[in-house]
Amino acid sequence: MKNTFLTMLAFAFALTSCEFDEGFEEMNVNPNAASQVGVENKIAATILYTSGGRYENWRNSLIYNSTLIQHYATTAGYWSGDKYYRVDSYATSLWDRYYPSAVKGIEDVIDQLGKEGNSGTEMGIARILRVVIYHRLTDTHGDIPYSEAGKGYISGTLKPKYDAQQDIYMDMLAELEAAVAQISGDSSLLGNADSIFSGNATKWKAFGNSMMLRLAMRMTKADAASAQAWAVKAISGGTMTSNDHIAAVTHTDGPEGINKNGHGEVFDVDSQMRMSATFGAHLADDPRLSVLFAPGSNASTIVGMPNGRTSDTYTGTDGVSYAGISDRNIYAQTHPVLRGKDVPMVLQTYAEVEFLKAEAAIRGWISSSAEDHYNKGVTAAMKMLKQLYPASTAITDAQITTFLAGPGKLAATFPANWEMVMDEYWKVTFLNEYEAYANWRRTGYPTLSPTQHPNSVSGNQIMRRMIYPGGESATNAENYAAAVARQGADTWMTRMWWDK
Amino acid sequence: MKTKFTRICTSLLLFFALTLSAYAQQISGTVSDENGVPLPGATVLVQGTSNGVSTDFDGNYSISASQGDTLVFSFVGYASQSVVVGSSATVNVSLEPDNTLEEVVVTALGVQRNTKALGYSVTNVDGDEISANPTTNAINALQGKVAGVNITGSAMGAKGSSRVVIRGSSSLTGNNQPLYVVDGITINNNNLGAAGMWGGTDFGDGISSINPDDVASVTVLKGGAAAALYGSRASNGVILITTKSGLGAEGMGIEINSTAQFDTLNTSLWDTQTTYGAGSLGQVPSNSASAMDNMWSAWGARMEGQLVPGFDGISRPYVYSDNKDKFYEMGTTFSNTVSFSTGDEDGNTRFSFTNLDNDDISPNSTLDRNSLGINTTQKIGKNIRVDANLKYILEDQSGNPRLSDGPGNANWIVNNYAPSMDVNWAKGPNGDGRNDDLTEFQATPSIYIQNPWFAQNYYVNDAEKERVIGSVNVRWDLSDAIYIRGRVGADRYDLHRTTSEPYGTGYKPLGGINHYKLAFKQFDSDFFIGTDNLAITNDVSLTAFVGVGSNIVESESLAINGNDFIVPGLSSINNVANKSTGYGYNEKQINSAYGSAELGFQDYAYLTLTARNDWFSTLSLVDKDAPNNDLYTSATLSLVLSDALDFGDAISFFKLRAGVSQVAGGADNPYRLSLSYGIFGQGHLGASLGQINGGQIPNSEITPFEKNETEFGFDIRMLDNRLSLDATYYSNETVGDIVGVSASATSGFGSALANLGEITNKGVELLLKFKPVVTEDFAMEVSFNYTNNDSEVVATNDTNGNISLDEPRDRNLRVTHIVGEKYGALYGTYFERDSQGRIVHETSQGYPRPIVNSGRKILGFGVPPQQLGIGASFRYKDFNAGFLIEGKSGGQIYSGTNNRLIGYGLHQMTVPAGGREAGLVPDGVLEDGSVITQSISQAQQGSYWGRYNDAAEAGVRDSDYMRLRSLSIGYTFPSDMLEGTFLQSASVSLIGRNLFFITNDVENVDPESAYNSNNSQGLEFSGMPVPRTVGLNVNLKF
Repeated sequence: MKNTFLTMLAFAFALTSCEFDEGFEEMNVNPNAASQVGVENKIAATILYTSGGRYENWRNSLIYNSTLIQHYATTAGYWSGDKYYRVDSYATSLWDRYYPSAVKGIEDVIDQLGKEGNSGTEMGIARILRVVIYHRLTDTHGDIPYSEAGKGYISGTLKPKYDAQQDIYMDMLAELEAAVAQISGDSSLLGNADSIFSGNATKWKAFGNSMMLRLAMRMTKADAASAQAWAVKAISGGTMTSNDHIAAVTHTDGPEGINKNGHGEVFDVDSQMRMSATFGAHLADDPRLSVLFAPGSNASTIVGMPNGRTSDTYTGTDGVSYAGISDRNIYAQTHPVLRGKDVPMVLQTYAEVEFLKAEAAIRGWISSSAEDHYNKGVTAAMKMLKQLYPASTAITDAQITTFLAGPGKLAATFPANWEMVMDEYWKVTFLNEYEAYANWRRTGYPTLSPTQHPNSVSGNQIMRRMIYPGGESATNAENYAAAVARQGADTWMTRMWWDK
Repeated sequence: MKTKFTRICTSLLLFFALTLSAYAQQISGTVSDENGVPLPGATVLVQGTSNGVSTDFDGNYSISASQGDTLVFSFVGYASQSVVVGSSATVNVSLEPDNTLEEVVVTALGVQRNTKALGYSVTNVDGDEISANPTTNAINALQGKVAGVNITGSAMGAKGSSRVVIRGSSSLTGNNQPLYVVDGITINNNNLGAAGMWGGTDFGDGISSINPDDVASVTVLKGGAAAALYGSRASNGVILITTKSGLGAEGMGIEINSTAQFDTLNTSLWDTQTTYGAGSLGQVPSNSASAMDNMWSAWGARMEGQLVPGFDGISRPYVYSDNKDKFYEMGTTFSNTVSFSTGDEDGNTRFSFTNLDNDDISPNSTLDRNSLGINTTQKIGKNIRVDANLKYILEDQSGNPRLSDGPGNANWIVNNYAPSMDVNWAKGPNGDGRNDDLTEFQATPSIYIQNPWFAQNYYVNDAEKERVIGSVNVRWDLSDAIYIRGRVGADRYDLHRTTSEPYGTGYKPLGGINHYKLAFKQFDSDFFIGTDNLAITNDVSLTAFVGVGSNIVESESLAINGNDFIVPGLSSINNVANKSTGYGYNEKQINSAYGSAELGFQDYAYLTLTARNDWFSTLSLVDKDAPNNDLYTSATLSLVLSDALDFGDAISFFKLRAGVSQVAGGADNPYRLSLSYGIFGQGHLGASLGQINGGQIPNSEITPFEKNETEFGFDIRMLDNRLSLDATYYSNETVGDIVGVSASATSGFGSALANLGEITNKGVELLLKFKPVVTEDFAMEVSFNYTNNDSEVVATNDTNGNISLDEPRDRNLRVTHIVGEKYGALYGTYFERDSQGRIVHETSQGYPRPIVNSGRKILGFGVPPQQLGIGASFRYKDFNAGFLIEGKSGGQIYSGTNNRLIGYGLHQMTVPAGGREAGLVPDGVLEDGSVITQSISQAQQGSYWGRYNDAAEAGVRDSDYMRLRSLSIGYTFPSDMLEGTFLQSASVSLIGRNLFFITNDVENVDPESAYNSNNSQGLEFSGMPVPRTVGLNVNLKF
């Protein structure tokens, strides 16, 4: 018995000589991952995330935004925006995708640049890109997590507070001003990682000021004085001056989804959308009609589909009977040359800048000629097509001249002139549906008639915002509640700060 | 991989490489009962070894033993007898009947222990109960049989994984399933694919590849005390599976076991409205576009046979179509096993081969599984015994259905087609759901909802798994008292999964294909030294061991993804325009040192103490301050009062037991302590793309979590063992649970890793057995088991906020851990109600519609706390019969299927008593508090119910049920009938599973049709229907 004990004790003692975790520290390092990658790799990815994937470009951009502002119409039941149905996951698709990709990426980029001591051109570019991302989010939802967002790892903030939209705007404007000031020289170190301007720093600078102008003008209803001050600052800082300055993400048709234009991917699989009759009416005398749209099956002319219809006849809440559309194929489709997966995704165009300047001139904030800005804008809007899309979209100088002299001639008096400028803004932001939807909410132009389907959740009015993701009321309850208390109920009709 | 640890510890082996030899001789004799009648099949064992033989038909045995060895003779129902080998080569014994059954169970590390000495609850299930009425996933055959063990199959048909939870979930976000140990070696139980909110396919789990026909017994070690010696991986309990050996082989040793089973749809479950067909606003589709748009909108007119345009332009009578009956087929499962056994006193061997061939009820969904097994035990010299076993399993799964709300889930559309839409119309011009140009014959208005025939005929969801599980166990008796044991085992499998969305699929016009290859390896080794029943004094005995162990897991994966087929119809990776590849690797290791000591006092009191220290590679990191290891202990006490005190004849056995234990656990996954970055995709315009890996915020200071458990119980047997009751109370708590604390998506991450979780489970387990009649011709046994487990989430994170798990596609609900509540709340949107609980309605569109509060509240809990099983078995002469009724209660389910059926107008509740034409007056009030009197017209009812089902509450049901889980009637041919034939024995039985529900609170779907087996229980969404199964089993021994 004694021997038994001694043997077992000897064994137990021998165990104490073992190093039980030898090699464990090395083993727990992922051999296929890096502890850091180059900032240019992250920016390249973040730009593509900003352009967006098929998911949110389909749901938020096209299904909601494009039909709410009547670029498109459809009879398909899941195209919720056309009849103001509620589909939460469509309304929150930009939020759901942006925060874990574009937002997370840009915050990490800025953190890394800061740690690497970069306070120059690349930091400036990153800060402009950051504004582009948050601007789209806040214009979609109103108050959003901004100052604390995307920093789960950097600062450990798991439940970012929602900043008031007004504060977000003021900070974004200050950011743009600082960012533009950081950019020096003609080129950045980003090179081909920059799929917007291929490393051209001058164009980023113009883009930064143009974004400043866009943000400034968005505030005209809420805070006209600040709007004027920032607009003037932006214009004097130097905005885009030609179509060479257009901010658009370059895409390729593959090899993977992330390389492709998200809208192009939608056009590949979803053929429900038709040119809205409203858009068709505005394009009737515009040379872009046959460039942007192709005629339907049995019509020699390009016909738009009325918004808010279904395949069956129904009685709207206004008591009117809306005839069923049994054959959607008679209506105009997006022209095939615009549907490519390799066409650029536009963030902001030079034409938009000229239209905003025209508005500023109409408001008397700048002394230059409104009509001059307007004419430059229309000309740029028509000429840019062949730059963005295949050459067959080219519009001749003669066509432009005819348009500007005829139906496109700017009205002389307010508000007719303002309406014309904003209608053109609406046209040029076709396929930049976030911007088109936001600008309509600010200006009310173009004049749109709401649809009347009885299943509307917005009381048959055009929705004013997208609701927050339901999950936020669970995972970020207090901040969500504070945002709702400040901004108003989390509904489709609650107006955000600049839309009051 | 080779570490200093293994080198040092290998030298330990040499240190003990002492040889002891003694003179062995052959002992033989006869074992008989108290009347001198020979006992065939009695066990003769050399004490302290695994050297054992069985007596033959005439009660004779022969065994190799040395002088001084103790032979232990045992037979069920008789008291064991020990005889010390003297000079005589013949030892005859006669056994006395015993009322206190001496049961031996295999416990942790393969150590056999008398149940008497166990201070914790262990449940043993005989292998016959699994192989006689089998389930394709062997573990499902245990449903309702073991108190404290909650088994839930997934709604995936025959090939699915199962969720097994013992004594409640102990981790908030980590693994909650038990450790599986097969013939002493831990095997991997990873789920090889699961459905989430966006769909997915289940490719089974680790345990699903174990052959039910080879199982000799299943032992469930429920508590922490039982599992302490398996270490951290046993923190959720252990299920020990012992496969059949050649011990006791008779005759030619050939056994044939064949089962044929037939699955049919349980049509009693499905009960949707059959009055109104496709359409909207109360009208039939007026044209083919409308027919297409309204394919799953059953808001049309009354079906009266009128001719109505179809989606394909053909007008047909507007009548009800039973689509489930038309779509699903009869399923078949054929399982055939042949085994060969041979043995003598020096060892035995069993070889088996099983083919299982399953055709599921979903078209083109099959499983083919071939299992080869060899178990051998051999004595080498006098003191060394080697047990070795090897299993080779080749599994082919094909046509696994897609589940949940993913494209290609045929169940979804078969469930939701409006009653007037005949699923056979979707077969299209070629009868297979495909057009002449090989594209999908579009029979739904959404490109994301596939034609069901196209989905089942042309989607590829296949997996081939080749698995080898093997172990070698060597025991060397160094002396009478001391032994050393070494064990090595490996579980490795190669998985090749092929999934393809065919050319012409609606949402993916050019299609795509993915190949995924996974090579998984797990190595276990243990080395320990111990003593069995060492007499310290006359009254005190010691059974003890100390040892070291190591567990290494390595997995490596390769994926090739292809998109855009070039030649239509050729689903090959060589036929794609775009390819990308992926590579994954991970490795982790746990090293351990452990010891156990069992002190016995006068054979009625036993105290067992254990200690173990585990080191975790997953918690190791350079410059980490917090520990990567933890020491934990257990103590259990068993008091056999019936041996210590005289209770008279009424009580034949009475044991009290108590135990306290700890188990520590590490992180499941490696590489989670630090942030890492990856380059992904194939770059863009020449630039590489980089980003943060993963959606979880890492934490470098994670330490092991601990689970503490206390249990008390007793085991009492009365009336000559006719009545027995085994009762256990347990209470466990997990502290420092390694959780993924939920983060708002706006943080950029989904969760953050932290040591903050705390959860408790308290419960009772009862097992009552009663044998009211035991005669020569007729015997009856009834058993009843009951479990109640109360869980509570005690802590989640620093602010005790909610932890969010999965959400269903409707996104109106999330499985959520909420402090102070039970595990896994169904937390979702709900109806606004007045003080009397009536639903409040708004009238913004001119008619009342329910107000759905977009906030969240607790609507239920996905895990039922109570479960019971009532089993009975009967034997009359050569006939036998048995059944098992199984039930669960106290839980809830979010039925996505029913929620959709309501919104789409298929649910019975969407038809008011007087029909839709008579209008609907909702039960509820308006915002001013007045009771609703306004009748909603037929045209507006679709909108009403469309609003109604916005509330998650509309889909939540109690998931209580009680069902006839299994039934069998068998006949064993009497031995005199078989005389003169080759047959040793023959039996045949009729078997049935899931035949009917006795009670069921969920309409239209099986209450156990969760679409995955992860921690988010209680989510149901158009899974495979659970069929009724009937079959025939034949067993022949030669």
